[in-house]
Amino acid sequence: MKINSLSTDEVFQSLVTSADGLSEEEAKRRLAEFGYNEIEEIKKKPLIFKFLSQLTHFLAILLWVAALFSFLSEYIHPGEGMLTLGLAIVGVIFINAIFAFIQEYRVEKALAAMKKLLPFYVRVLRNGKETEIFAREVVPGDVATLMEGDKVPADIRIIETNEIKVNNAPLTGESEPVGRTKEPFSGELINSQNIAFAGTMVVSGSAKGVIFSTGMRTEFGRIAHLTGTVTPGISPLQKEITRITRVVTAIAVTTGLLFFSIGYLIGRTFWENFLFAIGIILANVPEGLLPTVTLSLAMGSQRMAKRKALIKNLTSVETLGSVSVICTDKTGTLTQNKMEVKKVAGLCDNATEKVQGISLFHSALLCNNTKEVEGNLKGEPTEVALYKAAADSIGHIENKRLKEFPFDSDRKRMSTINSMRDTTYVLAKGAPESILQISRHCFRGKDIVPFNTSMEEKSVELYHSLMDQGLRVLAFAYKEVKSDEMIASKEDAERDMIFMGFIGLEDPPRPEVAEAIQKCREAGIRIIMITGDSSRTAAAIAKEIGLIKEKATIVEGAEFLKMSDAELRDVLSDKEIIFSRMTPKHKLRVVNILKEQGERVAVTGDGVNDAPALKRADIGVSMGTGTDVAKEAADMILLDDNFATIVNAIEEGRAIFENIKKFIIYIFAHLTAEAVPYILFILARIPLPLTVMQILAIDLGTETIPALGLGVEPPEAAIMKQPPRPKGKGLIDRKVLFKGYIFLGLIGTIGVLFAYFFVLNKGGWRWGVELPINDPLVYQASTATFLGIVMMQIGNVFACRTQTESIFKIGIFGNRLILWGILAEILLSAFIIYHPWGNKIFSTASIPLSVWLLLIPFMFMVFFAEEVRKFLARYREVILTIDNSQLKE
Amino acid sequence: MYRKILTAVNEHLNSEIAARYAMNLARAAGAKLYLCFVAGKGRQVAIFDRAEEAIKRIFIDAKKMAIDIEAITETGDPVKKISEIVRHEEIDIVFAATRREDVEKRFYAGTVARDLSLALPCSVALVRVVHMGRIHPKKILVPLKARIDHLTERSYFSAAMANAFGSNIYLLHATKPITSFFHGEVHLTPVEWEKKMSKDISYFMEHLNKYKIIHEKRLIPGKAGRSITIEAAAKRFDLVIMGASERSLLSSIFKGNPVEVVLRETPCDLIILKPRHEDK
Repeated sequence: MKINSLSTDEVFQSLVTSADGLSEEEAKRRLAEFGYNEIEEIKKKPLIFKFLSQLTHFLAILLWVAALFSFLSEYIHPGEGMLTLGLAIVGVIFINAIFAFIQEYRVEKALAAMKKLLPFYVRVLRNGKETEIFAREVVPGDVATLMEGDKVPADIRIIETNEIKVNNAPLTGESEPVGRTKEPFSGELINSQNIAFAGTMVVSGSAKGVIFSTGMRTEFGRIAHLTGTVTPGISPLQKEITRITRVVTAIAVTTGLLFFSIGYLIGRTFWENFLFAIGIILANVPEGLLPTVTLSLAMGSQRMAKRKALIKNLTSVETLGSVSVICTDKTGTLTQNKMEVKKVAGLCDNATEKVQGISLFHSALLCNNTKEVEGNLKGEPTEVALYKAAADSIGHIENKRLKEFPFDSDRKRMSTINSMRDTTYVLAKGAPESILQISRHCFRGKDIVPFNTSMEEKSVELYHSLMDQGLRVLAFAYKEVKSDEMIASKEDAERDMIFMGFIGLEDPPRPEVAEAIQKCREAGIRIIMITGDSSRTAAAIAKEIGLIKEKATIVEGAEFLKMSDAELRDVLSDKEIIFSRMTPKHKLRVVNILKEQGERVAVTGDGVNDAPALKRADIGVSMGTGTDVAKEAADMILLDDNFATIVNAIEEGRAIFENIKKFIIYIFAHLTAEAVPYILFILARIPLPLTVMQILAIDLGTETIPALGLGVEPPEAAIMKQPPRPKGKGLIDRKVLFKGYIFLGLIGTIGVLFAYFFVLNKGGWRWGVELPINDPLVYQASTATFLGIVMMQIGNVFACRTQTESIFKIGIFGNRLILWGILAEILLSAFIIYHPWGNKIFSTASIPLSVWLLLIPFMFMVFFAEEVRKFLARYREVILTIDNSQLKE
Repeated sequence: MYRKILTAVNEHLNSEIAARYAMNLARAAGAKLYLCFVAGKGRQVAIFDRAEEAIKRIFIDAKKMAIDIEAITETGDPVKKISEIVRHEEIDIVFAATRREDVEKRFYAGTVARDLSLALPCSVALVRVVHMGRIHPKKILVPLKARIDHLTERSYFSAAMANAFGSNIYLLHATKPITSFFHGEVHLTPVEWEKKMSKDISYFMEHLNKYKIIHEKRLIPGKAGRSITIEAAAKRFDLVIMGASERSLLSSIFKGNPVEVVLRETPCDLIILKPRHEDK
């Protein structure tokens, strides 16, 4: 038993109030007990703590420790540049933290958008007198008056009504105004017609009602609560980056400690070993990874914006690439939302013919709320299409509308009473089953005959055949009455009608959708259609666009509500699924279960009620024409409302994952070249080959722009022919490690060491001779190592641009950002090597041109070695394909 | 188990709603209902009148339901007086409404509700009333911990409430997500979670089966308090029944307290049960 099922007296009794409302004193007490009628923000972590948490995660703590040791080292051994190093590390921590914090802060906006939708003033009865108070001060038990244009302040049980109609769009997404009654209703509260919900708008009429729920406990508050509390979860990329940093850091710290111990055992001093340990850790920890990934995602989101997909959360860019299921609306997303009358059908050949002075088009034209404003038709797309077709056929008709019984989702029809040429008619239109149910006669040729069973069967066949063509079908009926005053209720009006015929409207599919769906099939992405239309219409459209090929599972809204989670789970594991006659609010349940099954879900939506599902999904996709709340809750906004744009975005997302993989290999390759000279420094007692500041200059300076260049590589041809990345398959696997650390890394290291020893040898150094750390020759040698790594990375960046395709096929100079990046890399290196400031900060010294020239062949060696590997990989792929096809034959 | 039920009534509307829950439980359990109003010293006459009116209304409703009912009016310290009545009448369970101010202070930092649950020798059901539209709960959410104390009484109470309103029960166990150092949060399917269901929850379900109460269960990873409120809001539950917190004030401050979170954020009425009947 709920408030909607009670009579008016029981409502007063239950809420301990009366027709005179509450006393001021009681209202005050209830306000103290139930609180203000407002959307409260769920208690969240204060912003400052959120920012602090960005400074205290695993990688940040590791960097803090490194910075602390650097400051300590500066304190004990001043003048060795450790202060600069410490400050540089702190700078890296803060840059990373600020990036992450800004992203989190944007999420907070969703709730603020909801707050704006609540009203300010409301008329209530206090001590029997009507008084206007702030909407935030109403309490359960208050008797409120609602007038046209009011926003409903709280959830209200209607007790008196004067033809009130409310627009529930902010709550349900249904734009059609619906009437409210005072009669008890035994169904669910949310479906009840005797409730006016908070946040909705009174379109016409007036009513009086008792407030039973305020603030966060209203239906509107419930959505706000869910929007505010649903934790979006960590994106796959965030998880993967966390994993990578932990794995790599564990390797780095272990290596650092191992070599620290070895150094101690072979008699190196503590500070030498310490410096070495810090160096080896910093050389291996991918400090540049987080900022590079963030910047790359930001650039990815810019590219998507050009393709009409606006990305709000940066990490969503990559998450898109791992999507395995898309739950999509039909109207406007798969179709164009351009309704057009395609077929008119009745029980006789000419369904548009007049019978006794009236035709089906009269109903279509007059039982219609479309308005002509400055020559344009304004209204709901279906009504506009009907109006246009009818007006084109019969022109404008002089008439007067006397009454309207608006459409509601339970009756599934609307009716109006109009007077035309001294005759009064009731005209009705609605869902075929609803109109047939109230019809007792029908048009047959030029006659009106009783509607018998065989005619009814024929009518059902007729509208089914229209629906099977993908048409949205509406039925029309009418009757003559003596006067509108005789009709007290819609039941009276809509009794014993004369069935006129059907109109089938077409909402053509978007031309690019079929190709996009085919792309999804090849890419192993399932598409689930969730629509408010009938199952036949949905299935016909789905067939037309290639969404269903085999026998699809079709679940209707009523059936969906009866299903347990286990049953729904079974249904959702089917290959082809359509949910029909659904409302936006059901999406959250579908998304939850899909996520529980381990799927990565993208879901589309545009209403306020879509917001929780949009937020819960891995990727919430809002339409550009959707409500603000939906846009705020979504991760991506489609500027053109087009399904194909989602698929384009997925393609971009996949490309970005591959690109991140490419620059991880690129980063790993230099880590070997940075670490090996250090190991030789400790084991072979060679002069210091690279300073920690030089490592940071490479990791966070010279190679940042070329790495970003890898981030903007366009998708490779085969990217949408592979299934979605399986859960658990990360950025790093054995292949990546081998290619980065061993294959490219070792080839590069040979070149780097060659330059290092070349400079030492030229400077007169002999093996076993120990040089002081500030010896000019040591500066020159470490500069040669630094330059060696920079040059090897130039070869590497070209090598990493593709996975298996030859670089010559995609065009060696095709990526301008990489070219600009290389130029910037060379200029920055020249500054570090030849400018006194660069020399001072990074402990470098000028080196002759011969070292540059010496390194060029090694740079090409890296590039061509990778080209040979790619050729062998392609050759292997061809052989495997031939073998497979032979096996099939 | 419950033969005598006492419900504390005062001038506030929420105490009357709490009394309605007690009244329905009394009907389902065939118990005698005691309505008790303890007026603090120096209270205004108007407050006294309002409480009397509330008692009258409940009295009439209870009589309609053929419940054996008795009204008691006293003056003095509510906790002390109710405690005396409980001992004298051998009351099995006391219903009391929590106040908004209880929630705004820290719930477990010396409120009347807290004092009642600590001082009384019988079980205590603290009712937080937030939604006046759901008069008879049809969907009851019962969050459970892995280890359940007073399992027999808890299951009896939940079953009796479900019986009283003809409701279905949904059991929810929110558990810590499984994580590994390198992989972060590990995702498990519902079937895999099922295997991790504790024995106590299975026993609880056996008890519900014994009372022929229709129930479903759900195990989800996440923070208990937040998961309960999300579940209650998302699936439009009418009532949440959960056990009282056993965390100390210090532990609540540092580790958080799910009961406090649900008290603050519950989208529907909430009953916090402090059971005293030992398992047999």
